Formats: sequence, structure tokens, C-alpha cells
Amino acid sequence: MSQDKDKIVKGIVAEFETVDTLMDACRTVRDSGYKKTDAFTPFPVHGIDTALGIKPTILPWLCLFGGMAGTGTAIAMQWWMNGIDYKYIISGKPFVSFPAFMPVAFELTILFASFAAFFGMWALNKLPRYSNPMFTDPRFDRVTDDRFFLYIDATDEKYNFAEVEKLMGDAGSAYIQPVVEDDSPKQVPRFIFMVWMLVAGLSAIPLLAVLKMRLTRSELPRFHVFFDMDFSPAKDAQHATTLFADSRTMRDDVEGTIYRGQYSEEIVSGKKVAASATVDDLRFVSRFDDEALSAAGGDRDPGGLSDEAKVELDADKKDPDNKESDQKDSAGSDAGNAGSASPDSGDAGAQPPIPDDQWLSEIPLTVDRAFIEKGKEQFNIYCAVCHGRNGSGQGLVHERARKILSQWWVPPSSLHQKSLYRDKYPDGKMFGTITYGVRKMPGYAAQIKVQDRWAIVAYIRALQETRRGSLDDVPADLRADIESAKLEAEARLKEEAEKQKKKDNATEAQK
Amino acid sequence: MSEHAAPAIKPANDPAFKLPASLASLQLPLLAGGLLLLLVGFGLAYSNAAKIGFSAYLVSFIYCLTLSIGCLFFVIVQHLVRAGWSVVVRRIAELFMIMIVPLAVLFIPVLVATWMSNGLYIWTLDGWMTETVGVDPEIWKAKSGWLDPGWFTIRSLIYFAVYIGLAVFYYRGSTLQDETGQKSATEKLQYWAGPAAMLFALTTTFAAFDWVMSLAPMWFSTMFGVYMFAGAILAAHCVICLFSYLMQRCGAMRDEVTVEHYHDLGKLIFGFTFFWTYISFSQYLLIWYGNIPEETEWFWIRQTNGWGSLSVVIILFHWIVPFMGTLSRHVRRRPWAMAAWSGYLLVMHFIDVFWMIMPEAHQGITESITAVGVAGAILCGVGMLALMVGLVLSLAGNTKLLPVRDPRLGESLAFENI
Repeated sequence: MSQDKDKIVKGIVAEFETVDTLMDACRTVRDSGYKKTDAFTPFPVHGIDTALGIKPTILPWLCLFGGMAGTGTAIAMQWWMNGIDYKYIISGKPFVSFPAFMPVAFELTILFASFAAFFGMWALNKLPRYSNPMFTDPRFDRVTDDRFFLYIDATDEKYNFAEVEKLMGDAGSAYIQPVVEDDSPKQVPRFIFMVWMLVAGLSAIPLLAVLKMRLTRSELPRFHVFFDMDFSPAKDAQHATTLFADSRTMRDDVEGTIYRGQYSEEIVSGKKVAASATVDDLRFVSRFDDEALSAAGGDRDPGGLSDEAKVELDADKKDPDNKESDQKDSAGSDAGNAGSASPDSGDAGAQPPIPDDQWLSEIPLTVDRAFIEKGKEQFNIYCAVCHGRNGSGQGLVHERARKILSQWWVPPSSLHQKSLYRDKYPDGKMFGTITYGVRKMPGYAAQIKVQDRWAIVAYIRALQETRRGSLDDVPADLRADIESAKLEAEARLKEEAEKQKKKDNATEAQK
Repeated sequence: MSEHAAPAIKPANDPAFKLPASLASLQLPLLAGGLLLLLVGFGLAYSNAAKIGFSAYLVSFIYCLTLSIGCLFFVIVQHLVRAGWSVVVRRIAELFMIMIVPLAVLFIPVLVATWMSNGLYIWTLDGWMTETVGVDPEIWKAKSGWLDPGWFTIRSLIYFAVYIGLAVFYYRGSTLQDETGQKSATEKLQYWAGPAAMLFALTTTFAAFDWVMSLAPMWFSTMFGVYMFAGAILAAHCVICLFSYLMQRCGAMRDEVTVEHYHDLGKLIFGFTFFWTYISFSQYLLIWYGNIPEETEWFWIRQTNGWGSLSVVIILFHWIVPFMGTLSRHVRRRPWAMAAWSGYLLVMHFIDVFWMIMPEAHQGITESITAVGVAGAILCGVGMLALMVGLVLSLAGNTKLLPVRDPRLGESLAFENI
């Protein structure tokens, strides 16, 4: 005590040998009205908070507000980013969709809450600080071992050294000492600054090296930081490679690859290739092959066309011999002849004619039940919206157009007119119509696969059969079903007609 | 608390461990009334439609089952982690866990319905897949081997065999120790806790798939077992908390169960409220994001025809309200408050089970659920719960209310949180 006289006294500490004496002392100190107290023990002691009268911490509140701030930040952030600032469709969801926001909100809630708890604990414990006056007494080190300490701060209202000393002595403490301020220097030692500066200096070296390399010339070859970005392992054809065990750069095709030209030209075009070739070689120019088209101009030698160019055929487009028609085509609709075709004519390739006998008259693929079912599925997806599911031309789009009295609507053809039956309208021609379109109908080559287009043709033929066939065409074992369905339908129609009649009568009677 | 000395371990025949007379006298009214309500409820719902009647019965069965298997898991887990704190409330869990035995008998009507055409499960209807839109017959062909009344019955028997085996093993081990006081009994229960937990997890997952998820036979969610388990374990903690409080109010275990135990139960209830939310949201999020018709079907049904408002009710009152309500330790350290929240959550759990099962009752029938059907389902649930509580009380009358000679009883009595 004597040697500490000139130092500032921060408080008083008393040492106890057992938990029980400490707890008793705590209660005495609490009951004597001391507020700024603290106890130190080698292990957690249950109930010491109440014994010392320490108020519950406000840390849970900090944690709660931290968590709420996290939720709010996450929601606001995502709402702003996804809903306002950078609208980007993800998985076809609305821009602001809360289920998608939840995981991030959850994570940020946890993150902010733990930050609040962690740093809140620091703040409440006045951390970080260089030292605590408690550590000035070497005997205090035993608090981590086998001794218990009770501390009363000098700023406590009731603090009076003599009184506290007596109180502690009565409570059973054999060692009572004032706690003096830690007067060890508060400056950060020089060498720490030195070390920091050294580290900073060393860490600048790589940067400086890079700078130097970028700014100076050198006769040495360039230094490659990312070697395989500068020298890509990608190779050209016929080169050897180290990437594969067999050293070949060129790999086999992935299983299931469809090669260009794998399907015969007839299947792809719907035309008798040999015959149409004799008519006009230029028809084989692909409509998508712009280079070939422009090079062809008006007088290109048709013999120079490559086989590939013949694969994607064009039925009724860009006849280079007919400049007038060419202009009209590019001005008008894609399918050509938009103006002149009468809506109900139903005759597809009315324009630069490919004679009907040039088209394949039959579907060049095997037609079985599965094939027609596939055609039905595709028809109902792509065709039925206009042509109607039964092919009558009364599809939803048509109904709608009629309802709003659209001026420019060209009604879709009924597929049941005689001019579209196979004898008048070969299968290949119908395939061509689906592929390239007709009048207002666009081509579906880009949407429907070749095989599926043929399947649609097969299904349309089946649809037509429903209106022209007779009962004899139906297998014997299914006829009964159809008969009964027919009777049922007739009965229903009759019933409905009677109802309508009654209704009409009633309205007339009212009049 | 060290403020006061821990209560001394009382002798095993102390009256504090006996079922209070006021509760014992409730046995008969609960048993009789429960059975009556169960029958009336079933009859009411049955008058709505036969399938709705069985669905209502399934709601009450699954509700009671989750309470029971939740308690079973609670007991297993206490042994698995060698928990000291929970000894004083463990017997209540054990009493509810052994209710799996009477529940096996109560399962018979569900089995009967399985053998009826569309009595409860739509897949029992011949040719149901041709009459339901969007069912791929190929997929159903692969599934139909599993969802077959005979194989379903065998599986149900296996599930009950496992549940009853586990429950009896742990119940007998604990009650025998009341007599012998042998430490080795605890060691044996602990030794088998690991395998028991795994067995329990598998059984619960498959039971949830069969008994509840197969109501929508083409729908699948691998999380469904966990989802049902989350509700079960939450409900189990609520039952333990509520029953401890009731016992104490009636005069038993007054010194043994302290505010510290309620605090711990409260923390677990709070945690499992969120666990339930976490699991159900995880299940929802993936399906919502994937947006594949065969997966969204289940939630779609629950968003339409008025079920949507029930879904919102569950989100608000099964998650947000109890989450905020039990967040504070001041609430958790008030036994009456935790008992109230437990009762509240048990009601919410019933609504959750109702929401899982009843929307599927429409499938394959022309009737829709009326107020009578809903009232029937509620009466069924109240009835079966009363029946189960009555059985618990009659069993509790013959045993001690806590494991009086458990080697960790002293630790549990002295337990404190801070």
C-alpha cells in the first residue's frame, strides 16, 4: 500500500478462498448498497449475478435489433436490386418474389445478429483496451487457478476505502488491496511500428515488380503469369494434343448427333428431288443461305451450287428469274402471294408453282400409331390455336379475331375441304406448307422438327378421314363403341334442340 | 440456483411423485368423453362423405401419433446425449411415448379404409389414374407395386413393431429402475440410444411417406418425413411443458420441476418452432423454384379453394406469432407463459396436420368438405386426444411421475441455466 501512495486508486479488491465465502461477500456488498462491483472466478458460478445484484445484460436487445436490421437490409437490398435497379427474369419468377428473398434474408439476419452480439459484447466490456488495472496486482493471476476476487470501483457513490476494507474483512477475506491504475506506458512500442512498416514495405515488392515489368522494355522473353491462358491447350484440326490419351485433337461425335444431310433431301424438302431438280435448280438455294443468294443475283450458274445448299430447300420463294415477284415477296409477307390469294382457296403453293406431281405424294416415313399420336401432340401444340383441334379452322385465335372484328384477319383454312385431300394436295406439299408457310401462315421449320412435321401431316390425314370415312373403315371390334357414341350424341343434340325450342316458345309467348 | 440449495432427492414413495387425486379423477370422464367425441366426430365427418370421415379420422390419428413419437424421440435423444437436466420431466415423455401401443389399435380404421375402394387413399380406387388429370400411367405402374394395400399393411405393421419395440424398451427400462435403482439400467438405455435414433428416423420417414404423403400418390417430397418429424418434436416438447405445469398446479413435483426446466423446454420449443419453419420452407422453396407441375400440385391444392387462407394462417400463427412470443427469456422463465404457449402450439400443430391431410380428401369424390366435415375432424381430434390423455393418466396412476431413482436425478434437480 505504501509504495502505491502516489498512484491513482481505481478501486479495491479482496481475495476469497472458496466460492461460498465469495458468494456471502457478494450478498453483503450488494445489501450494503454498492453498485459498481465485479466478481472474478476461475469458473462460471451459477447465481453470482443475482448475488451481486448485476442487472441483466442488454446484449439480447442488441442482438434482436441486429437481426431485424439484417432482415430489413436483405429484403430492401433484393427488392431494390431485383425489382427496380436491375430487372432480370430468373426462372420466370416475378422480379419481387419473396420466397426467393427468404434465404438471403435468413442469412443476413443471422449475420447481423451475430455481429451485434459479438461487437456488442466488445462494446459492453469496453474492449479493446490495452490493459485492466486489475492486472497490476500479481496475486490476481491466481483468479485463473484457485482464488476468487471481489472488486468495488472507486467511483461508486458509497465508496469509502476504510469501510469497504472492514466489510471485506468481516466477510472472510484475508487479502484486501487497493487497485491502482496501470501506469505502464500507453504508447505503442516503437518496434511494432517498425514491424508494420517493414511488412508494408515487403508487401509492396510484388506490386512494384509488376509495375516495373509493365513499364520497361526487355530483351528477355515475356514472363507469363498465367501460362495456359497465354498458350491455350485448344488445338486446330489434325494437331496432336496432350489432353487426351490417344493424342488426337479431333474427337468422335457425341452419340445421337444428327449430321447435315442425314435425312434424305426428300424427307427434308417434301419434294421428289430428281424431278424438281430438272425443273429449276435454283429452287434448291437455301432461303437462309444469304451469301449464295446474293452471289446468285439474276444469272448465277445453277450448276455451281454445292450439295449442302440443296439440303434446305425453298419451295416458293425468291425466284431470281422473276424480279417483279422477288420485290413483291420482300415487300409482302414471307410466304409470298399475300395479296392475291383468296382466303378460302386453301390451295397452298399457288405461287411460283412447283407442280403437284413434283411433291412427294406419300409420307416418306413409317406411319404407325405412335407416329400419328406424335403428330396429334404437335398439331395440338402448334396448329390447333388457329386451325382448331378438329381442323375446322375455328381455332381460338380465329374466334378471337372474329370477336374483335379484326379487319386484316385472314381466316385459317379448314383442313377438311376437298382441295386439301391427298389426291389434290400431295403429302409433300402439305409438308412444304408447314415448313415454309402460306399466305399469312408463317413457316414452322424453325419450331417443329422434320420428323414431327411429317407426323403432323399424317395426323391431318387422319383428321380428314374422320369426315370422309365410313363405318366400314373402322375395325370391327371398335364399331360398337362408335355406334353407341353416335346414338348418345344424337340423343343429346335432340334434347338440346328441344330445350332451345321450348325456350324460343317461351320468349315468343312472353312477347 | 445457488441462491438456494438444490432440493433434496425425496424418497421414492414421496406423495409428490404420485398422480394428484384431482387429475386421477379425470381419467374416466376423459376416456368416456374422448371415445364419445371420437365417434361423434367421425360420424359427422362421415355424413359429409365416407372419405372425408376417414380423412378426419386420419387427422386425429396422425396428430396423436406425432405427439407420441415426438416424445419417443425426446426420450431417445436424452439418453443419446446423456442429458442431466431433463430427468425430472422425462417420465411425462415416457408416458406419452408408450401411447404408441393403444395408437396401434386406433390405427385399425385406417387399415380398414386402405382396403376399401378410395376409402381414404385415392390409389386404392381401381383405375384412379385414368380418371385423374395429369397422371402418367407409366410412372404409376412403377409406383403401384409399392402402394398396394397388402404391402401397405405389412409396412404399417413393421412401423408399429419398431415404434412399440422402442417405446416398450425405454419405458420398461425406466420404470424398472424405479424399483431397482440400478445404474446399469441407464447405461443399457444409453448404449442402445444411437441405433434407436437411426431406426426411429428411418421408420418415421417411411411412415410419413406411407400414411400421409401417399394421400397424393403422384406427389413426392423427400423432405416430407422430416417435415412431419419437425411438427412431432415441437408438439412433444409442448406436451411435456404443458403436462409438467398441470401436474405442478395439481400439487405434484412442486419442488422438482423448476423455472430452469421450463426455461430449457422453452428454448427447445422456440428452437423447434423455427426448425419446423425452416423445414417446411425448405420443402416449399425448392418446389416453388423448380415449378414442375407434378411437384407443385400439392401446394397448388393448398393455395386454392379456400385452403390458401389456411396456409397463410399457418405461416402467421405457426411461425411468426410463436416465434416472436417465445423469443424473450423473460417469457421462457415464466412457467405459466410457457404452458400457455405450449397449449397454443399444440392447437397450431393440429391445424398443421389438418392442412397436411384434409385438402386431399376431395380427390376422387364429388362431395366437398362442409362445415360439418370440419367440425367432425375437430371433434375427432379432441376426442382422440382426450382418449390418449385419459390413458396417460390411468397409466400415470400406477407409476411415479418422474424417474425417482435415476442416477442423474440429483443433477437435474440442481440444474440451472445461469
